[in-house]
Amino acid sequence: MFRRMLLSVLVRQKKKLFLIALTVALGVSLATAMLNVMFDVGDKVNQELKAYGANLNIVPKGAALVNELYQLDNADTRAAIQYIKQDDLVKIKMIFWAYNIVDFAPYLTTQVTVNDKPVSLVGTWFNKHLTIPTGDEVDTGMLAMKSWWSIEGNTMKDDNLQGVMVGETIAKQLNLKLGDSLELISPLTNKKVTLTVNNIFHSGGIEDSQLYVSLPVAQNLANKDGLVERVEVSALTTPENDLARKAAQDPNSLSRTEWDTWYCTAYISSIAYQLEELMPDVRVKAIMQVAESEGSILQKTQLLMILLTVLSLICSALAISNLVTANVIERSTEIGLLKALGATNISVAMLILTEILIIALLGGMVGYFVGLGFAQIIGQTVFGSFVEPKMIIIPLVLIMVSMITLLGSLPALRIMMFLRPTDVLHGR
Amino acid sequence: MMNKNQRFILKTLLSSLIRRRSRIAIALLGVAIGATVLLGMVTLCYDIPRQMGQEFRSYGANLLLMPANNQPTMPMTEVKKAVSLLPQDKLLGVTPFRYDSIRSNQQPYTIVGTQFDQVINTSPYWKIEGEVPKNPNEIMIGTDIAHFAKLSIGSTMPISGKSKQNSRFDEELTITGIVKTGRAEDNFIFIELNDLETLLEENNQAEVVEISITATQDELQRYIQTIKDNSSYVEPHLIKWVTQSEASVLGKLSSLLYLVTLVVLILTMICVATTMMTVVMERRKEIGLKKAIGATNKSIAKEFLAEGLILGIVGGVIGVICGLIFAQVISANVFGRSIVIEFYLIPTTIIISAVVTIIACLIPVKRALEVEPALVLRGE
Amino acid sequence: MNMLEVNNVSKIYGSLHALSEVNLTVEEGKWLSIMGPSGSGKTTLMNIIGCMDKPSLGSVILDGQDITQLSLPQLTEIRRDKIGLIFQQFHLVSYLTALENVMVAQYYHSMVDEKEALQALERVGLAARAKHLPRQLSGGEQQRVCIARALINYPKLILADEPTGNLDESNEAMVMNLLHQLHEEGSTIIVVTHSPEVSKHAQTTVVLEHGKVASIINN
Repeated sequence: MFRRMLLSVLVRQKKKLFLIALTVALGVSLATAMLNVMFDVGDKVNQELKAYGANLNIVPKGAALVNELYQLDNADTRAAIQYIKQDDLVKIKMIFWAYNIVDFAPYLTTQVTVNDKPVSLVGTWFNKHLTIPTGDEVDTGMLAMKSWWSIEGNTMKDDNLQGVMVGETIAKQLNLKLGDSLELISPLTNKKVTLTVNNIFHSGGIEDSQLYVSLPVAQNLANKDGLVERVEVSALTTPENDLARKAAQDPNSLSRTEWDTWYCTAYISSIAYQLEELMPDVRVKAIMQVAESEGSILQKTQLLMILLTVLSLICSALAISNLVTANVIERSTEIGLLKALGATNISVAMLILTEILIIALLGGMVGYFVGLGFAQIIGQTVFGSFVEPKMIIIPLVLIMVSMITLLGSLPALRIMMFLRPTDVLHGR
Repeated sequence: MMNKNQRFILKTLLSSLIRRRSRIAIALLGVAIGATVLLGMVTLCYDIPRQMGQEFRSYGANLLLMPANNQPTMPMTEVKKAVSLLPQDKLLGVTPFRYDSIRSNQQPYTIVGTQFDQVINTSPYWKIEGEVPKNPNEIMIGTDIAHFAKLSIGSTMPISGKSKQNSRFDEELTITGIVKTGRAEDNFIFIELNDLETLLEENNQAEVVEISITATQDELQRYIQTIKDNSSYVEPHLIKWVTQSEASVLGKLSSLLYLVTLVVLILTMICVATTMMTVVMERRKEIGLKKAIGATNKSIAKEFLAEGLILGIVGGVIGVICGLIFAQVISANVFGRSIVIEFYLIPTTIIISAVVTIIACLIPVKRALEVEPALVLRGE
Repeated sequence: MNMLEVNNVSKIYGSLHALSEVNLTVEEGKWLSIMGPSGSGKTTLMNIIGCMDKPSLGSVILDGQDITQLSLPQLTEIRRDKIGLIFQQFHLVSYLTALENVMVAQYYHSMVDEKEALQALERVGLAARAKHLPRQLSGGEQQRVCIARALINYPKLILADEPTGNLDESNEAMVMNLLHQLHEEGSTIIVVTHSPEVSKHAQTTVVLEHGKVASIINN
């Protein structure tokens, strides 16, 4: 009989139950969308923060001191003392966290003269196609890391050995336009090369008074075949915590388990450590400006999303339970009748709870998929990428729906307990 | 003056609100939730990009002042004038820098004069071991120098150089801190600007001034124009690396927030509507009866409209209060700052919740009115 | 003069003929009772006479006006001005007091008048319970409030659908007594019932069976 009553309610009270199912579906879709976005927002924002470019700097061990020293003194013609072998660069993509390395670019700076004026010439990879010994193939280079540069002219290619990218300041000083040619002389090697202006760029930094060419051109001019001076690496990292800070001071101070945790987490310090392990004679320095800020912004965003999710979950919980209460109150006549016919409080409660739970689960199922849709819309519009549905959300939402409908029924059930059949059946 | 009929209907309206307490509580709760979410989310939507903008200042300076006309330095008085053109409440820090070459034990180094109390504001990412110098003859050195020259906190460093008047100076300086940034600063020696100028025998000059200010790229461009128009000594530059990236990431974050708000709002409004509909639907019989004893559709609709209006406004007011708390809690927890409230959002929220409530009320009323009263009164 | 003329009225729901070719006339000031077992079509007929439903075929002339030709708002107007309705289930507004329930009818008709409403309650013997809510009243009391509400606008026709269906004997007597008083004051009364006891009070009884007039008895 219980089953028959349940069935008849489900079948015949379609309209009213539809509203409950709709509300539950909406609440669940909200929860699913928010939870999915919340779990994914860290990765997504992390990707976005790559707009700030490199967060690691690889320099030769002994050269760390002299090499960057005179960035602001353009006149200095001192060249780096030690170099990194170009052949070692592929190793960057062979560390434990290889997949977290988003991009990297080597640099070789040498001084040249143009019309007897000294200028810094930088050789680099623009967007180089590499085959890693592990079989993977990657495209990597400077252009992807300098998202804030505004560049005039066709994209520079690595095999363009006649082209040069000219900084805005230099271009003004030398009155250069796209397509102009300029003759470079290296005062150290006395080599000469004539290049065509392929691009003029504006970076807002010291790069504006530099020339950028494909790496082999600079190596040839400086007589440094197969050598680079430093490498910038952009890596996806986990925000720093106490463990990471302790490790950054001295990895040897960690206990065995701490060390394992640290090594197997994508902290910037552990990535730096792994790079140093694999590449001989280099120092890997975290660029604090990027690394530290990344961490703080990432944490704020995640905290924000978590709070928003929790609050919207509370709101949808309230909305659902509110509606369940409204529904039970509305059916007080029916409940009074059942009680008059001799139903106990418990049996009426069981009937109503089962019925609402079934509806809620049906609605929840629909809501889950709608929520996945919402999450995708958000992912696609905001980040232009797919939000990966997390399996953990399914049991989470399931528990939530059950708890909310049960809790939501409580005030209604309380009202029902105190309902005297006579009140309802006689003149309402 | 109200006539008897108006007074009567007002009284019945009040009776309906007071004597149906439990249902009205449910309806009010529904409306209040909607209004809370509406005001809370929209306030956050307005304020968070601003708050996040402040967070992004942890990337450091976004505006540079450099000497104009190829001068090596600019007077600090001119810098102060230029800085006074910027909105002071948005200014986080103004740090002057001076660079000079010195030697220590025959090795060449760059010494940087700056104001340490400002550096902390414009470059919050500097990792400083020990303390920043507080007294004359104290310095902070970059971590690479510390490694290379095997120096540590507390040890002293002899330096020698030439002043701008070409007289030689030799000093023995105490290291109070070691700085690490992963960039050029790792190779610099830092000293209080005044102390450096004493050595150089010069007064109040700066080579570069870093400014950190909460502003969008467009606002920065405007400030730059203002400074250019008003100063012939100082040339402002945008640090594009910081501003451009900030603009792109912040843009993404804002649109994320807008979309989330939109989704949450749509869903909550529908939830509010379904609750209202359930509450009104149970009054089908009452509507049928009123029709049977001669009420016109219009007068019934008017009664429900008035009731919806009252519910919407009261629920809206409750929601506004809760919404402000909601926004405040999030802002305080995430950013540790209190939220800026756009006051016109308060009446807007109340109006929207009243409109949504009325619409949600009138949908089931309209359906009940379409049915012949006989059908409604016949029973279930 | 005839208060009501029902000419060849049929009501068809799909394939079900609830009423077929019913003919009735009620003179002004008469008391008619419509009797029949459940399902004989008496509620349908009452809804049509009460302007709450329209016949599929035929015409109904109420107080000289053919109500089958009227629009819904016009029907509402007729209901308001000419008909007082009494229901088996009373149908009082749950959150309004007895007095206010009477006043609702005044409100929709023209202008509320508390004194007059109180007089109407006094007439049905409920002046003392004017401030009570329906749930605080017994069934008989609720029905008497319903009668007070029906007569407040001086309707030409009082339509009662099983007015005593939910009441015990003493309350039934009280309600019938009130209807007699109204009848003596000149109201036309139509009572729909399945009970021969109730229908005896009427001057004429129309017996419906399977949607057709089976017999007309003059008491």
